[in-house]
Amino acid sequence: MTPGDDYGFLRPPGNTKRPTALPQTTNPFDTFKLPSGPGRHYKQQYGDMYFLRLAGLKPAVEKIATEAWEGITIAGERARRVDRVLDVRQGELCWVAGTVYMDMPMKPNILDDLTKENFTSAPPPRRTYVDSSNPALTQTTLEDASGRVRLAGDFLSSVHLTTGTVVAALGTENANGDFEVIDIKVPDLPPQPPRWGSEGPKHNGKDAAPKESGKIAFVSGLGITGTSSDTLALELLTEYLLGYTGFSGNEDNGPSSGASKITRLIIAGNSLGASVITDAASAGTDNGTKKKAVPRKYGYDASAYNSSPITQLDSFLSEILPSIPVTLMPGEADPANFSLPQQSIHRTMFPNSRAYAAPPPSGEENPEAGWFDSVTNPWEGNVEGWRVWGCSGQNVDDVLRYLDFSGENGDADKDSDDSGARMQVMEAMLRWRIGVPTAPDTLWSYPFQDSDPFIIESCPHIFFTGNQPSFKTAVIDGDLPLRLDGGDTEMTDSAGETSVPRVRLLSLPRFKETGELILVDSETLEVEVIRFGVFAGQEEKK
Amino acid sequence: MDPKIFLAENVLNERRTVTYRSLSRALKVHANRAKQVLYEFHRNENAKKPQSVHATYVISGVQNPEPTTTNGHANDEDEVMQSSPYMPSSMPNQEPVSHASRITSIILAREEDLDDAKATFQSISTMHVYSVQSTILQDLNVLTDVAREVATASVQDDPLECGKQWGMIQNRHVKRRTGARPPPAASPSKESAPAPKVKLESTVPAKRPLQSEASTKEEDKTEDFKPQPSSASNSQSSAKSTVLVPKREKSNLFSSFAKAKPKKAAAPVEPTASETPDVVLDDASEDEQEELFPDTGEKAEKSAAAIRESKKEREEKLKQMMETDDADDEEMPDADDEPEPEREQTPVEQPPPPKPTQLKEEVTVQGGRRRGKRQVMKKRTLKDEEGYLVTREEATWESFSEDEPASKKKPAVNVPKAKGAKPGQGNIMSFFGKK
Repeated sequence: MTPGDDYGFLRPPGNTKRPTALPQTTNPFDTFKLPSGPGRHYKQQYGDMYFLRLAGLKPAVEKIATEAWEGITIAGERARRVDRVLDVRQGELCWVAGTVYMDMPMKPNILDDLTKENFTSAPPPRRTYVDSSNPALTQTTLEDASGRVRLAGDFLSSVHLTTGTVVAALGTENANGDFEVIDIKVPDLPPQPPRWGSEGPKHNGKDAAPKESGKIAFVSGLGITGTSSDTLALELLTEYLLGYTGFSGNEDNGPSSGASKITRLIIAGNSLGASVITDAASAGTDNGTKKKAVPRKYGYDASAYNSSPITQLDSFLSEILPSIPVTLMPGEADPANFSLPQQSIHRTMFPNSRAYAAPPPSGEENPEAGWFDSVTNPWEGNVEGWRVWGCSGQNVDDVLRYLDFSGENGDADKDSDDSGARMQVMEAMLRWRIGVPTAPDTLWSYPFQDSDPFIIESCPHIFFTGNQPSFKTAVIDGDLPLRLDGGDTEMTDSAGETSVPRVRLLSLPRFKETGELILVDSETLEVEVIRFGVFAGQEEKK
Repeated sequence: MDPKIFLAENVLNERRTVTYRSLSRALKVHANRAKQVLYEFHRNENAKKPQSVHATYVISGVQNPEPTTTNGHANDEDEVMQSSPYMPSSMPNQEPVSHASRITSIILAREEDLDDAKATFQSISTMHVYSVQSTILQDLNVLTDVAREVATASVQDDPLECGKQWGMIQNRHVKRRTGARPPPAASPSKESAPAPKVKLESTVPAKRPLQSEASTKEEDKTEDFKPQPSSASNSQSSAKSTVLVPKREKSNLFSSFAKAKPKKAAAPVEPTASETPDVVLDDASEDEQEELFPDTGEKAEKSAAAIRESKKEREEKLKQMMETDDADDEEMPDADDEPEPEREQTPVEQPPPPKPTQLKEEVTVQGGRRRGKRQVMKKRTLKDEEGYLVTREEATWESFSEDEPASKKKPAVNVPKAKGAKPGQGNIMSFFGKK
């Protein structure tokens, strides 16, 4: 701080030097894009998804299990590999791979809903499916196409499993017909493509020149409501992103020069405030009672629909778009379909911003990513050569409902700090190789027929989850020796190119509550936080 | 225009809040220059007369860790995670202990709280004036509104061109589709927006955007006519700035009318719109928003008028149609409008096979009220002992009362003739009537 004199901060205007942004490269994947129009059907059975998931992950998990358990003998008995769940023989030490299904007392059950003739649209949100007062009611089963066996044993309580994960279990079937588990293996991290992966050649030329390291910015949960109760933080964010904050050009470390390094802003869901929806809902019930009195209208009803949140989001986007390319993912509260994968928010919602979007797709040709890219949730893509996989937060939230972390976090208050648990869940997802394991069980999902896109085929470098209560980051590393032992040719190939898989996990906080923007260095993947806020001084306390 | 005069007018006389961005846009200067101007102004005025001008500041830097207030953010460093037992691989390879991620804070504070705010910082990298106003801001969120007004006021300025002037980050790689520019938000104020813009560029700068900013305040002064909520105030201020000559209120009135009743306003608005040959802004009505071709103001005016005319005619026709419909309406089975009973009867009507006539009905008349029970077929889905879902149709009794007598006579159609005046028709009328 300059001693005593405020004037020290006043500098000659930076008129001569204008910050210019770095070039960016983003290559979104269409992993989660659903067929449009007539190609999208909802009549298929979900069973196919589980079949595909098991088919996709069984080889991986069996390979790991074989390495671990091949020739293992316990109490003089050799562990035997069993192909199908139904082939498990009582009293025989064996291991088998299958999909986990958990039956929990508090879990919404579609069959119950049907029998009760209760066709409510969305199940009321629950904090957890676990009935901690009666843990015995939670049943874990392992199933495949042939059948299902209930898992039992003390070992289960020490692992975290959710519906939809594919694991291999070692144990014996006991007299009750339950499978007594001794050990469990998961598929573990998928092979990680090298940075720039397939796009490498294109960039070799550029890399020859000393490349300035840029930043990838992440934000989620903007929660725009369109009212004046929107936080000033959003305004400060805009100004920061546009480079107005601070004096540019004079200080290398000044925040505005930092902002000019941002090569892309990724908005991970819930850009619109959730309160809008509850308002609408309550308005809806009010209307229900008044319905007879109010004349029925056709089509657009300006009195029931409040367009100001989306208008405000549009103007926010159109304001920053001239400086920064934006990737926008929908979230739970956004105007997109509810079932995963959520499809991109339609461009007509953004009359001002859509000029920056890619031209509408014409025919078969696949247009390149737009400057303003409204994408799916979850989303996978290459940003600055890094493989990025992210979701707006539904996946982690829902998995947490299956798990009871209270024991491990000790006395920590669950609501205030389960960020550690959230990190664990994110790591577990990568090791399960399933980004959204609980779809289609407790998360609504499109009934996929040909592939299960939630399987993480190749390990991302950045794995993020939006709308979490607090910011948290961690780095996980794959297991090098294990990968080298692998006889699989594919594995060794990729191991030759890359070293160990190394993933940066990001749990993005809700901006509305924390005012935090997360910057990830595009060279080192180091994380930086910019926090926007208002100093609540004496005026406010009065 | 001299920024000092501008500020004196706006802050001291009009008692507005001026942020560095609104100043930068109004005077078309670099944001950093605007910050300086605000600072000078604030210093000079307070030297002349203390406490006459108040400011807010933006401080950026590294804040002291505050474990108490930053709920849960105290330990933002990478964490060594506990591993679940089935993930042995994660154990040895965890990144050992790591540095805390750098947290930069950008905090907005009032002048009065500045020292307190500064005290929370470990190191400050920059600090600058955010806004200047004549009173202490009780609620800082007011600044959000200022910013929004700036945004709406400068819709016409292409950020790609003006951004340089304002001092925002330039991105050479920006891709924007050409062709249809986004339609400016459909409010009458936009129609008149181009005019001041032209003027601004020529000689008289900077009158308009700020004027429209604080239109609400202005309204309090010019009480000649009733302040109409928001649209009116918008149009008022912009219209004022546009014309900048007598006639002011009149055009205001009309332009505010323009929204509600475009037909009336069509002619008088014309001077306001003043045929600025700005192609983009020509969307007089929503129908023309996608219009790409240049069109003169008059033409648009005319066509718009024509459209309105024909609309009106159509409306008239429809009205007539409705009325005739009303007369011989009885045959229409519009079950939708049947208020209450419909809901209960759906089960009867939906499945075609069960014939309602076969079902029994017990009716008792009690004190002039018909009450009774009748048998209906209902679908029930049950889980049987083996866990299968079984759907059965069962005859069940349900009670009904007087206000649903229809099912007795015409169970299939169930539109009571008496309800000919039903709300449904009125609805359509009111739908058109409102337009």
